Amino acid sequence: MVPKLIRGLLRSGFAMELAKGGARWSYRRENRAFGLWLHFLFDNMKKGFRKERPVAWISAFTPSEIPYVFDLHPFLPEVVACLAAHVGVSEHAISAAEQSLYSTDLCSFYRCGAGLALGGYLPKPDLIISTSHLCDGAHRFFHNMSQLFGCDHYLIDVPYGNDGRGRTYLTDELHDLGDFIGKRTGHHLDGERAAGVLELSNRTRQVMLEINELRRRAPSPFSGSEAMSYVLGMNFSTLGSQLGLAFFRALHGVIQGRVNRVEGVIEEEKYRLLWLHHIKPYYPNTIFDILGGLGAVVSFEEANHIYWEPMDPKHPLEGLASKILSNFGCGPIEHRIEAILEMAGKYRVNGAIHFSHWGCRQSCGGSHMIRDVMRERGIPTLVLDGDGADIRNYSEGQTRTRLEAFIEMLG
Amino acid sequence: MIVSGIDIGSLSSETVILKDGEIMSYSIVPTGADTQRAVSACMQEALERAGLKFEDLSATVATGYGRIGVPFATKTVTEITCHARGAHRLLPSTRTVIDMGGQDSKVISIDPEGRVLDFVMNDKCAAGTGRFLEVMAGALEVDLVEMGERSARAKNGIVISSMCTVFAESEVISLIAGGCSKNDIIRGLHEAISKRIFTMAGKLRMERPITMTGGVAKNRGIVDALRRLLKSEIHVPEEPQIVGALGAALSA
Repeated sequence: MVPKLIRGLLRSGFAMELAKGGARWSYRRENRAFGLWLHFLFDNMKKGFRKERPVAWISAFTPSEIPYVFDLHPFLPEVVACLAAHVGVSEHAISAAEQSLYSTDLCSFYRCGAGLALGGYLPKPDLIISTSHLCDGAHRFFHNMSQLFGCDHYLIDVPYGNDGRGRTYLTDELHDLGDFIGKRTGHHLDGERAAGVLELSNRTRQVMLEINELRRRAPSPFSGSEAMSYVLGMNFSTLGSQLGLAFFRALHGVIQGRVNRVEGVIEEEKYRLLWLHHIKPYYPNTIFDILGGLGAVVSFEEANHIYWEPMDPKHPLEGLASKILSNFGCGPIEHRIEAILEMAGKYRVNGAIHFSHWGCRQSCGGSHMIRDVMRERGIPTLVLDGDGADIRNYSEGQTRTRLEAFIEMLG
Repeated sequence: MIVSGIDIGSLSSETVILKDGEIMSYSIVPTGADTQRAVSACMQEALERAGLKFEDLSATVATGYGRIGVPFATKTVTEITCHARGAHRLLPSTRTVIDMGGQDSKVISIDPEGRVLDFVMNDKCAAGTGRFLEVMAGALEVDLVEMGERSARAKNGIVISSMCTVFAESEVISLIAGGCSKNDIIRGLHEAISKRIFTMAGKLRMERPITMTGGVAKNRGIVDALRRLLKSEIHVPEEPQIVGALGAALSA
C-alpha cells in the first residue's frame, strides 16, 4: 500500500508541482539556494515521469552539459540514491536489490539505485550515458539498468592521458555519442543551442569559483556537509542550465551574507578540515555534529574543487572532452595529490579526513598514499573507512572514537 | 594532587589512581551488561586499595567506549590518546603502541613526547580482538588465560584461514572434530590474529621500540607470534590492561 502511494505521488505532476512551489516559498528567505534545489528535484522527477523530453540517465561524472546540449531530460540515479539514504529509505532499496541478486560487493549507491529502479520509483530512461573515468562500478550498473529498461547505453570511454591524443580520441567519441543520441531520440547537435549551454556552464563555473573563494574565509561560512549534499547534487545535475546558474548565484548570495555577518558554521572554529573523496555518508549520522562539537569544521571538500577551464562555446564537444580529461582523478595518483595539496594550502586546513567509501575503489586505493604525502607536509590525515549509502555499515561508537582521536591529534 | 583515570571497555573496566603522578592503586573489573555498575565497582575498588574517598580525587578522566557514560568524569579523552600517553609513561622511548582490547585493535604511532602522530584501527569486524579470542576459547573449552601457555606447547603448524569470528569458530570446531590438538589450533589462531595486526601495522610507518597494551597483551602466544612477524622485540608492561586508564589519569 505505502510503496504504491509513494510511486503514485512521484508520478503525480500535481503533487510535484505543489511540492516544488512549497519548497521555493519555504526557503525564499532563509536559504534561497536550498529552495531552488528542492524545486529542481521535484521538477526533475515530474518531468522525468511525464517524459516531456527524452529522459537520459547519466552517471555523476558525465558532464550534465551533454543532456542539455542535446535537449534531453537529465536524470542521475546516483544523486537520487544519496537522497534516498538521507531520507532513510536506502536500506530498503539496498535490501530489495540484494534480494534480486545484486552482489553485496557492488557499491551501495548502485545497489540502492537498482532497488529503487526495480521498485518503480525512478523515471524510465530512453537512453543511458555514463563514463568510464573515476567510478569503476558505474558502467556495470548503467549497463545493467539499460538491460532492465530495454534501452541503449552509451559508455564514454575516457582515456588515461590528458594529452592531444587523448583529447582527439574523446572528442571523436563525443561526436559518435551525438550520432547515437540523434538516432535514438531525433535530437541532433545544434551548434547554437550547444554554444548557449556551454556559455551558461562557463558563467556558472565563474560563480562557483567565487563561492569557493568566499569559502577560504575564517570562520568557515559554509558547511562541508551541505556542500556535499544538495550543492554537489546541483553541481552534477545542472551545469549548463539556467536553473544551475540561478542556484549557484543564490548560493553565492547566502554565503556572501554569512561572510558579511562574520557568521561561521560553528560557534567557535578551532580546526579547519578538508574532506577528501566525493562523498560523505548520506544516511542519518552524527559525523559532522561530532566534529562541530570538537570545534572542527569541514571548510572545503575535494568534491567541489573546480578543476576544468572555461569551455569554448564554438567547439562544444572539444570543450566537453577537455573538461572530462582535466578531472584530477584521471591519470596517475600524482594529479589527485597535487590538487589536494593545492586545496589544503588554499583553504588553510589543519587536517584532512579521507572518507573511504567501500564501493569507491579508485578513491580508497590512493588514500594511504595521500595520507603519507599530507603527513610529510604537516597535515594530519584520517582515513575514515565507511559506507556512504548503507547505514548497516555505520557504527557511531567506532566513528566517534576515530574522529575524536584525530581531533585530539590536531590539538 | 590525586587524580584518577577510568577506562570503560567492552569486556573490562579499569581505574588507575595517581598521586603526584605516581600510581597509588588500580582495579580491573568485568564490564558486563551494566556499565554503571562496572563504573562504580572499579572506582570503588581502586579507592579502597588506595585508602581514599571519592572526595579526595581532584579530577577523573574517562576513556574507552563507555567514556561518555561516566557521570563523574571531569573530561573524556579517547583510548587512542590514553594508550599513547600511558605507554609513553611506562616506556618513554616507545614509538609504536599496539593495543589489543576487547572489541578493537589499534596501532598507534607516537612522537618522543608521547603525542599521537597517526593511528590505524581494525574495521568493524571482531577479528584480532579480545572478543575473538574469548569466543575461540569457548569453542575449545579452554580457559582464556591458558591459551598463551598452550600455544607455546604446540607441535604442528595449523593455518586458520577464516577471520570472521563466526566462521573461525566453525573452522575450529571442524579441526577439533578432525582430531587436531587444541594446542596446535590455539597457535594457529594466534598466528592468524597476529597476521591481521601485522597488516594493520604495515599501514603506518612503524618505528621501534614497540609497546603492547590491552588485555590481549597478557597472552604470551599472541605476543610471541607478533614478535616473529614484526621481527622485533615487543615491550609488554607489567599490567598491560591498565595502560589506557593510566593514560587517562595522566590527562587529568
